[in-house]
Amino acid sequence: MKVRLLTGLLSLLMPALVLAGEYNLTVDRVEIDTGDFVKEGIGYNGKSPGPVLRFKEGEDVRINVTNNLDEATSIHWHGLILPFEQDGVPGISFPGIQPGETFTYEFPITQAGTYWFHSHSGFQEPDGAFGAIVIEPEGREPFRYDREYVIQLTDKHPHSGDRIMRNLKMMPDYYNRQQQTVGEFFSDASSNGLMDTIKDRMAWGDMRMMKADVEDVQGFTGMINGKGPAQNWTGLFEPGERVRLRFINSSAMTYFDVRIPGLDMTVIQADGNNVQPVNVDEFRIGVAETYDVIVHPRDEQAYTIFAESMGRSGFARATLAPEEGMEAPIPPMRDPARLTMADMAGMPGMDHGDMDHGDMAASEDMDHSSMENMDDSKMKDMDHGSMDGMDHSKMGGDDGQPSDPFYAKGSGIMPVAANDGKFLSYADLKAQKPLYEEREPTREIELRLTGNMERYTWSINGVKYEDADPIRLQYGERVRFKFVNETMMTHPMHLHGMWSILDVGAGKWNPIKHTVSVQPGTTVYMETEVDAPGQWAFHCHLSYHAAAGMFRKVIVEGGPDSTQAKTDVAIEEGGDA
Amino acid sequence: MNASKFLVIAAVMSMPAATFAAGADGHGHGMASGEPGKASQASRTINVEMYDNYYEPEMIDVEPGETVRFVVENKGNLVHEFNIGTPGMHDAHQKEMKMMVEHGVIQGGQIHHDMMDMDMGNGHSMKHDDPNSVLLEPGESQEVVWTFSDKGNVEFACNVPGHYQAGMYGEINFK
Repeated sequence: MKVRLLTGLLSLLMPALVLAGEYNLTVDRVEIDTGDFVKEGIGYNGKSPGPVLRFKEGEDVRINVTNNLDEATSIHWHGLILPFEQDGVPGISFPGIQPGETFTYEFPITQAGTYWFHSHSGFQEPDGAFGAIVIEPEGREPFRYDREYVIQLTDKHPHSGDRIMRNLKMMPDYYNRQQQTVGEFFSDASSNGLMDTIKDRMAWGDMRMMKADVEDVQGFTGMINGKGPAQNWTGLFEPGERVRLRFINSSAMTYFDVRIPGLDMTVIQADGNNVQPVNVDEFRIGVAETYDVIVHPRDEQAYTIFAESMGRSGFARATLAPEEGMEAPIPPMRDPARLTMADMAGMPGMDHGDMDHGDMAASEDMDHSSMENMDDSKMKDMDHGSMDGMDHSKMGGDDGQPSDPFYAKGSGIMPVAANDGKFLSYADLKAQKPLYEEREPTREIELRLTGNMERYTWSINGVKYEDADPIRLQYGERVRFKFVNETMMTHPMHLHGMWSILDVGAGKWNPIKHTVSVQPGTTVYMETEVDAPGQWAFHCHLSYHAAAGMFRKVIVEGGPDSTQAKTDVAIEEGGDA
Repeated sequence: MNASKFLVIAAVMSMPAATFAAGADGHGHGMASGEPGKASQASRTINVEMYDNYYEPEMIDVEPGETVRFVVENKGNLVHEFNIGTPGMHDAHQKEMKMMVEHGVIQGGQIHHDMMDMDMGNGHSMKHDDPNSVLLEPGESQEVVWTFSDKGNVEFACNVPGHYQAGMYGEINFK
């Protein structure tokens, strides 16, 4: 697949060896077999997922991408820092790759870690057009492990991406199979009282939403490295070895809660960047995120890697075992999560009078004037709390339940470990080696995440992509983004080209990510050092939300003159994102 | 600190093995890894550098019964420990270190020594002063003089939460 060219003559003269790797990818129609169904999809080099591309930090890569489809395509290198013309977003970075055409990407590899690549054209990515990227660092890894595996998750649906989008537009609850039943009504009525239950249902009816809207596309088969649960992808180990698992969530729409019963996991990297190690029993991986963990299986037995979807409508499963064919029990899925009124707290225009009932976290949370306070108090908590070195996710809430500052208080989707142990929170993520000096942001930009579930429109500040002006940033500034989630869904926000410095209240140790999940009813801050000229995409990474309009173009003004000229060319050639 | 937090502390404090020493004693293992030595008896000095989060070197050869003077320097940006013990001793000590982090005694690159003296009840404190280990802030350097016992499963390790699991340990090989 790849030919490594050593630039021999020069390297004899230069102190540092310059590596140049050449890689070839074809974009193909492929067959995808989940074990539950077989469908046609899109893959790379004849398979979905495509190959694991292994690069070395400091290498210059040339990647020849040949489009064997009868439609245009593109490849975006998710999380890689590179010149914007190489970023692979049609209409923003370049015109796309036409049928039959070979496009050559060329860029330097300036980072290390676990990343992935995927098509940024239409719904090719949900249809299977993705693969993994593993970059070896220039120096040694600051870890010890004996072997490693990529664990690439996806939510394969029997319908094509185009068909799913059409159905959602026609009927937004088309794929929502967990709507509450009459039986559930009566059981709620007996435990909560009939009037409260009726009020609850009426309040939700007024909002044109359902409590079960944790996942708006259900009916998928969870897959790991191209294998469904019955096909059971298996990674081998020798008892006593330490194994690094590189989790990548390449799903179109699905968040997964991941655990390996019988093994502790130590999280060492998030979104390709090393973090101060955290021991956990379970973690939630958002769409497009990556987490690297180290596990240490000591016994001669199999272990199940179990990834339940956040809404519990499906799961992915794989196995770590000393020998092929060994299996461990598959745990049952836990009860589906139900959104609560706390998850709605960010939604404007709600009728407060109807919402004063028992299962709300606190009725004053619904009052808009005190919502400001809610955010403030949360941020205060985060600043001071984390400074004191407290472990937030273990800290009891008022009722002794664990709480996570990145979920609304009383949220129905706040994760809890299956074994009541430690569940990773964003608040636990601290940079191992901060990339940027800490400094005051030059300004704040508020981005309200908005949507109308009834028409399946998703937007930012109430405006969808087609109608929106680009966000203009100045080269050299540090911008603080304030995400306010006014919807009842979780949105994984992905800024291309520049790092998202997630504010977890840890000051200079705040981690850098490429994808930041914003939970319903919460406000999350991130900062960006505007250090990459050109124009970039910035969007929700849920495929159908991005397509529906929760998407912006970001233009970085200034910087070296040469990039400004290139930007103008890219704009003229245009295309769809 | 709220009430439930306090209960957790109280529960841990009432456990028989909850010493806040460095795990070398109090766990019924005796000194499986050896015992404190005198610098005058040391046959040689080994320099150990601590980085985020690994050691250099990661493997040290010793003779059974040998006394070694370790000069340990923290060249990273985070707090690290150098602790000689068996895997079981490290495992027990990790629970103590976890509590120290949860109570803010260790934060990133800082050790709050004043908090270590805090009375945790039952005469316990979070002092970290056992002879088989040193706990260092970035830039600090200290010595450990250790007489190794006969052969055994001995590692040097950093028990700051997550560090050992991520790979901050090294093997002692008996010749």
